[in-house]
Amino acid sequence: MVMPIVNVSAKILLFATLRDKYGVRELEVKCDGTVRNLLENAAKTLNKGFLARIYDISRNKVREDIIFTINGRNIKDIKGEIGIKDGDRVAIFPPLAGG
Amino acid sequence: MAGGYVGKILKVDLTTKNVSTEPIDEGVAKKYLGGKGYAVYLLYQYIKEYELKGLSPKDIDPLGPENVLIFATGPGTGVPRFPSPGRYHVMALKAPLTGSIGSGNAGGKWGTSLKNSGFDGIVLEGVSDTPVYLAIVDGKAEIRDAGDLWGRNIFDTTRVLTSVVGGKNTSVTCIGPAGENLVPMAVIMNDEHRAAGRAGLGAIMGSKKLKAIVVSGDQKVSVANPEEFKDVADRCLDALKKNPVTGEGLPTYGTAVLVNIINNVGALPYKNWQTGVNPDAESISGETLSEKYLIRKNMCWACTIGCGRVTNVKSGPFQILASEGPEYESIWALGSSTGVKDLDAVVKANHYCDELGLDTISSGSTIAAAMELNEKGYIPEEDLQGLDLKFGNASAMVEAVWRTAYKVGFGKYLALGSKKLCESYGHAELSMSVKGLEMPAYDPRAVKGIGLNYATSNRGGCHVTGYTIAPEVAGIPEKLDPLATEGKALWVKIFQDFTSTVNSTINCLFDTFALGAKDYGELLSAVTGWDISEDEILKIGERIYNLERVIINRLGFDGKDDTLPTRLLKEPMPEGPAKGQVADLEKMKEEYYKLRGWVNGIPTPGKLRELEIEV
Repeated sequence: MVMPIVNVSAKILLFATLRDKYGVRELEVKCDGTVRNLLENAAKTLNKGFLARIYDISRNKVREDIIFTINGRNIKDIKGEIGIKDGDRVAIFPPLAGG
Repeated sequence: MAGGYVGKILKVDLTTKNVSTEPIDEGVAKKYLGGKGYAVYLLYQYIKEYELKGLSPKDIDPLGPENVLIFATGPGTGVPRFPSPGRYHVMALKAPLTGSIGSGNAGGKWGTSLKNSGFDGIVLEGVSDTPVYLAIVDGKAEIRDAGDLWGRNIFDTTRVLTSVVGGKNTSVTCIGPAGENLVPMAVIMNDEHRAAGRAGLGAIMGSKKLKAIVVSGDQKVSVANPEEFKDVADRCLDALKKNPVTGEGLPTYGTAVLVNIINNVGALPYKNWQTGVNPDAESISGETLSEKYLIRKNMCWACTIGCGRVTNVKSGPFQILASEGPEYESIWALGSSTGVKDLDAVVKANHYCDELGLDTISSGSTIAAAMELNEKGYIPEEDLQGLDLKFGNASAMVEAVWRTAYKVGFGKYLALGSKKLCESYGHAELSMSVKGLEMPAYDPRAVKGIGLNYATSNRGGCHVTGYTIAPEVAGIPEKLDPLATEGKALWVKIFQDFTSTVNSTINCLFDTFALGAKDYGELLSAVTGWDISEDEILKIGERIYNLERVIINRLGFDGKDDTLPTRLLKEPMPEGPAKGQVADLEKMKEEYYKLRGWVNGIPTPGKLRELEIEV
């Protein structure tokens, strides 16, 4: 098995019920530059359920109900390839709204 | 009468003390439902009557006898198992802060209790020469002396009148010292902590010397098709329960959960909108509120969401034994906009606003504008009278709130509202308002659609006229890029129209995170017995929004007023995800007018005919 190359580090921030559930406000995570690997590595610190909550492994994409932002931009709004760069700030929110 | 309505409107002339009853006009109700829609229809009849008498609507004094104040429920209000049905709407011909139409909506239980007392709505004309309150018990209304209550705060007034009037399902809506002192940011408060806020509705009650309206009784609201209603309501309540926002997010954290996500997208206005990124957002966030201040949750009458927060500040200079809120907009206005990161102070200031009857958004925003004026050296020291209004000064912010309500010291300047305050010091550009109404907590440089909504909102800078934050940030019902302008005009129009129907139904706007126009059509059809389609739901809303627009046109507003502060149009966002962006209003506005069938902000005769609006 070929291990992914770990070459970038990003800060993951959790909010609202995700913060409650995983007991962490923020963590630094190394990864190979893909969202999936970032979350897989975060799950090693948090727990296995974290990956499944945030990422739909069968469809290889972030779950539809999760608000996943990189440097404040929702990945649903980012045109082109989505990747994690060194020093990125990844903020993850459960479904929420108000007013 | 159709199901959902009691069938009667109470009309009160406070000058002559004449009290009368009028039936609900079923033809009008079919076109405008109730709540905001029916009230807008009634206000337009006053406009026509005044014009026939030779009184131009532009000359109406918002604090004079010609102004009309209407409290209105809708066919959904007070109906058990209707989603979040405890609300009511307040409309005024002219709001003192803006000179535009006055409009506010509140939860709690007062709306339901008004129906229990035997009326769908109340129309108030004239002015009393002495302080009075209106008691409506079991279908009978009395104007009573309120001399002993004048000067009392919201909580005292509510508790005294609840006890004095007694009866079943008793509920009080009232004004505090801010309303009595005619502060144009005064609100009407019911059930102690629920506000019909924005643009000075409380000052209108104050000008009429009407301290409170107490409603009590056990009149039930009938439903036209109970079996059909049960099926539809069960399905809608189940959808609300299963929806992650209405079933989990709002019940767990309340609206304050928005602080972090709005800051994350660079749209949380900080220090009077100088930027959209607050470095201290976490300290005033919903998560922090829940962790350190929350005692328990609270909910409006028969609501299944329960976004209300009961909070306290355990110790220190801002100690409070128990309060409610603050909700998102209040935290932002009193905290982020003023640069205050001490949540103790924000909770205290919010409590003062409730106690004294002030709009949190306009109060916080006006204090923030004063802070910028002061930091830039535009306010003479003698005007401030020792009030150290600097960004981040928590104690000065709290003190500024109560000084506003009582017009004490610099409070008499703050009590002008941000527009007149900034104009009076020669820097109108520092008022972050639309049509004179301070904007809520989303920067249009980072969320473009909400800027078009602010600009075209009939009552002025308002988020709940067309809450496009739902698609632009939360992705509800689908995700839109907040920095894009394409297609936003149609979204704004649809949201404004649908919201007008929701505010005429009336139930909570938060239900629309889980329910759509089709659901509203089915709910209202079952309640009223009329056949209301999904398309008709939107058409009713469009009709209401256009007639409201006709009224503000008569009050002197047109396309030139559908704009945003210069800061948002000209000063690029200095940092964050929206760095370099401006509000991009004009292109969206042009498209919006085309979709609306308006020219220069005025509905065309053809559009009015299409909507069956008789002018």
